[in-house]
Amino acid sequence: MNNPSATFPPPVASSDSAAARATNVSKIYGHDDSEVRALDDVTIQFEKGHFTAIMGPSGSGKSTLMHCMAGLDSLTNGSVAINGIELSGLSDRELTKLRRDQIGFVFQAFNLIPTLNSKENIVLPLSLGGQKGDDAWIDKIIDTIGLRDRLTHRPSELSGGQQQRVAVARALASKPAIIFADEPTGNLDSKTGHEVLNFMRKAVSDLGQTIVMVTHDAANASYADRIVFLKDGKIAGEMIAPTQDRVLDYLKHLGE
Amino acid sequence: MLRLSLKMTLARKGRLFLTSLAIILGTGFLAGTFIFSDTLNSTFDRLFSDVFKDVDAYVRSSSFVEAEFGGEQRGSAPITALETVLAVPGVQAAAPDVQGYARIIGKDGKPIGADNGPPTFGGIASASAAGLWTIEEGRLPVGPTEMVMDKATADNGKFALGDTVRINAQMGSREFAMVGIANYGDVSSPGGATFALFDQPTASEFLLKPGFVDAFLVQGDGTVSDERLASAINAALMPGDKLETITGAQITKETQDQIGVVLGFLTLFLTAFAFIALGIGCFVIYNVFSITTAQRLRENALLRAIGANKRQVVIAMMVEALIIGLLGSALGFLSGIGLSRGLSSMLNAFGIEIPTKGLTIHPNRIATTIIVGTIVTVLSAILPALRAGRVPPLAALRDTALENVGSVKRRVTIGVVAMLLGVGAIAATAAGATNILLGIGVLLVFAGVLIIGPGIAKPVALGLGRPIEKLRGVTGAMARQNAARNPKRTARTAAPVLIGVALVTAMTVFAASVRSEVRTAIGDQFKGDYIVSSANRQFGGLAPSLAPELAALPGVAQATGLGFTSVNLDGSGKFVFVIDPATASGLITFDMVQGNQSELSANGILVNDSRAASKGWTIGSTIEVAMVDGTKKTVAVEGTFASSGFGGSYVVNRALFEGTLNNLFDTNIYIRLADGANNDQVYNALTAATTDKGLGTLQSRDEFIDAESGQINQILGLIYGLLGLSIIIAIVGIVITLLLSVFERRREIGLLRAIGMTRSQVRTTVRWESVITSMFGAIVGVVLGVAMGFVLILILADSGASAFSLPIAGTLWILVLSFIVGVLAAVYPARRATKVDIMQSIATT
Ligand SMILES: Nc1ncnc2c1ncn2[C@@H]1O[C@H](COP(=O)(O)OP(=O)(O)OP(=O)(O)O)[C@@H](O)[C@H]1O
Ligand SMILES: [Mg+2]
Repeated sequence: MNNPSATFPPPVASSDSAAARATNVSKIYGHDDSEVRALDDVTIQFEKGHFTAIMGPSGSGKSTLMHCMAGLDSLTNGSVAINGIELSGLSDRELTKLRRDQIGFVFQAFNLIPTLNSKENIVLPLSLGGQKGDDAWIDKIIDTIGLRDRLTHRPSELSGGQQQRVAVARALASKPAIIFADEPTGNLDSKTGHEVLNFMRKAVSDLGQTIVMVTHDAANASYADRIVFLKDGKIAGEMIAPTQDRVLDYLKHLGE
Repeated sequence: MLRLSLKMTLARKGRLFLTSLAIILGTGFLAGTFIFSDTLNSTFDRLFSDVFKDVDAYVRSSSFVEAEFGGEQRGSAPITALETVLAVPGVQAAAPDVQGYARIIGKDGKPIGADNGPPTFGGIASASAAGLWTIEEGRLPVGPTEMVMDKATADNGKFALGDTVRINAQMGSREFAMVGIANYGDVSSPGGATFALFDQPTASEFLLKPGFVDAFLVQGDGTVSDERLASAINAALMPGDKLETITGAQITKETQDQIGVVLGFLTLFLTAFAFIALGIGCFVIYNVFSITTAQRLRENALLRAIGANKRQVVIAMMVEALIIGLLGSALGFLSGIGLSRGLSSMLNAFGIEIPTKGLTIHPNRIATTIIVGTIVTVLSAILPALRAGRVPPLAALRDTALENVGSVKRRVTIGVVAMLLGVGAIAATAAGATNILLGIGVLLVFAGVLIIGPGIAKPVALGLGRPIEKLRGVTGAMARQNAARNPKRTARTAAPVLIGVALVTAMTVFAASVRSEVRTAIGDQFKGDYIVSSANRQFGGLAPSLAPELAALPGVAQATGLGFTSVNLDGSGKFVFVIDPATASGLITFDMVQGNQSELSANGILVNDSRAASKGWTIGSTIEVAMVDGTKKTVAVEGTFASSGFGGSYVVNRALFEGTLNNLFDTNIYIRLADGANNDQVYNALTAATTDKGLGTLQSRDEFIDAESGQINQILGLIYGLLGLSIIIAIVGIVITLLLSVFERRREIGLLRAIGMTRSQVRTTVRWESVITSMFGAIVGVVLGVAMGFVLILILADSGASAFSLPIAGTLWILVLSFIVGVLAAVYPARRATKVDIMQSIATT
């Protein structure tokens, strides 16, 4: 099993280095009786150049946290800033532009536009912004995902793992401040999953990107520099430089 | 299963509404046409039963000429027969009646009533109890200088007793003193017509011929039945007078039937367009069912998985179609009520003024509409339903509904074969086969194009999208790909546009060609400087005395009249041109093949050469001609002429009608000025003699040619208007497809929004997809339309292909409008697309 701790940079707690920060964030779904407190006063910060994993039982609020931090969902309380930009008070247009330029996304499935080929999907956020993009950077990403010979293929002609790698490349294309990946390997077998994770690891270590990833898998989580544990919408703990065994240990402990 | 189908249908209100919309519009036009023609018919039926309400027997000439396009022209009755009628036992009263042409000139110097509007009558006001008119104010007219007017016209024209009123009729333009105002039974004037009434001798002399009237209206004393009365009168009539008697009920029925024939043409015309609209509606319905079937792949696969068999899935779909069909066509009938009003105001706007009173709704029309609408819907749903039945229980769960286009090659082959067969059928028609073959040919060509459609939709959409991609970048690229990703759907959505555009283009091409042919024909035929024309072609016109009067004006070298009348020629009713060969030469020039126009004798006739050939007539052949009053004459063919573009096939000498009771108005008078005449002076003199008296329209040669060749524009406008509804249905079809596509791709849209697509970019994508689809239909439609127009010209124009002219500007306009249609159709779906909830679309995995 790969242990990434060798290239592990030390955590920096300065607010200057925060790619994204949530302060006292609460998110309540529904009203009254059917009220669900998906996030309960969460304060957290994701450092630049770090690979963070978020773990926690199903329904603990992992996806909700990612959506709220990415400006896809509204907050009930608290505030979120991406790269120092406060999200509250941004218009729909400004928020869209922020997502396009500063945030990358990888979902569990259905990440690509079926009518566009790999290359077009990768540069889609740039094209939407009418930008040409940094050719050298795009080249570098493409080499890193190792799909240069698949660039003119449509998503339907790619395997699930290849599709997810294209999705990660798409998320990286605009050199965003942060990339959110919600169970990016959830639909893949473990071998393919590790291909994708390797690529994400490289993006952080070699290309200096910032990634936050939700996962249920301890092995996957061990690719990260840091793990944040969520439970019942609250932060239940953290682990720096995780290994698969320590994570499993912790999860057992968390379950009690 | 039935309960389940019902439930599933009702659960999808949006889909239910969208599908119904296509049916509502399609059946709405049909119902509108039904209601409109029923209302029209009953209005006229009521009108004529009012007119002849108090008439027990009706005495009229027994000789008549059937006119082309239905209707008949009847001979006159000598006034002397009145004594005979009055002497018959059982007759209480009898009144002479004349229904001649008399145009009242308003106080502003303009004739009252429209040229194509309700008729302008001249008649008799008599004291007899059998007369139709009762004096409301003033007194009956007596002598050649007095007249009475109907109340409605007097009110509208602000005429009062004692006014001097100018009236134009067959014998010229005269002034009368208005001595009374009359009512027609209980109504002030029937059907919007105008009436100028005189005493009998004046009416006969001014409107018809001294000593003759059109008919006698008889009132019985109640001792015998109407049938008895009629046969008693018949027995008493002198055989030499050539008269016959029918009952009041018969004349009512006959008049109603005659108008019914004319209204029948109109109804047929409208119904044709209603069926075009319904056919286009079919396409939209078929498309909606196909798309929703594809989208319900999972739903149906699930049904199959939990144990529903094929048949049950198909039945569930058919039940849905049945519900939608019933609902849609019921609503369609309701909207038809509104549309019938729209139809009548549209016809009015195009100068076909039709009086409609109230609203006539026959229950069987409701039934017909609903049955037709439901059948059409169910038929449109059969193929998609069968497809739904073939969904395997474990169907792959796809992200978006895809319908596979089978072998493109096979499609194109079948399509091309259909088109070739169609072209063959059309060619056969051009070579003289029946017109049914033409219809089949056109249908086959359309079918061929529509079969090929899905096969070529992808490359065409990609081609059309290329400039858009260049222009709009990634949003353009996505629009282009979206339009191409589902070729079947794109082709089906474009089909209604294609059909609509093809018809509009064909009409435009045809009209342009007719226009240019008419221009040349009139230019060749008429060589004068001015022309006085009357729009009344069948009823009234310019007094025959006017042409000589104008010829006598200083500065006028020559003036000749051209008339139109119906005679019975070689056994059937025909229109003939009437000219005066002595004055016509150089002004009216037929393109003579044989013989000499100026030598046309009183008992001669000129015949269109192709007509002569088909009838086997040569110079010297004799033809029997019977006139309206029963006069029979034999005329000899003295010449043949090449086709004129007017469609007239026969020309006779005015002198042929000498001594007969045939009405002889001129439709046009052609005028040549003397060399060196002062144009302005002569023009003023002509104006004073014609338009200042409300007689016809005075135009220069160029103005006249413009006006005549422009007449086709009026019909073209009406056809455009009627095709308008089909176009609206086509637009609705695009809207529905886009809405369904947006619904289907909401996840994709959500993803795009999540990674940074702005709302306006979402809108742009939908808009351009719509434009590509509509332009696909429009371009194929234009090509097809131009071809159809060419074929029409080939078949209908006498001069064949040389008459073809392509209206470049018109065609470009059609393309521009189709572009706008695409943009408009996208407005609402694009708005819906921007409202896609990002979170929800991400959540649905
Ligand atoms: N749109 C919504 N409406 C109501 N409740 C919601 C909604 N979305 C999420 N929730 C609730 O909020 C809580 C947190 O959900 P969330 O999707 O963030 O969990 P998660 O940690 O991502 O779970 P999983 O590991 O299963 O993906 C859950 O209890 C869930 O039921
Ligand atoms: Mg989740």
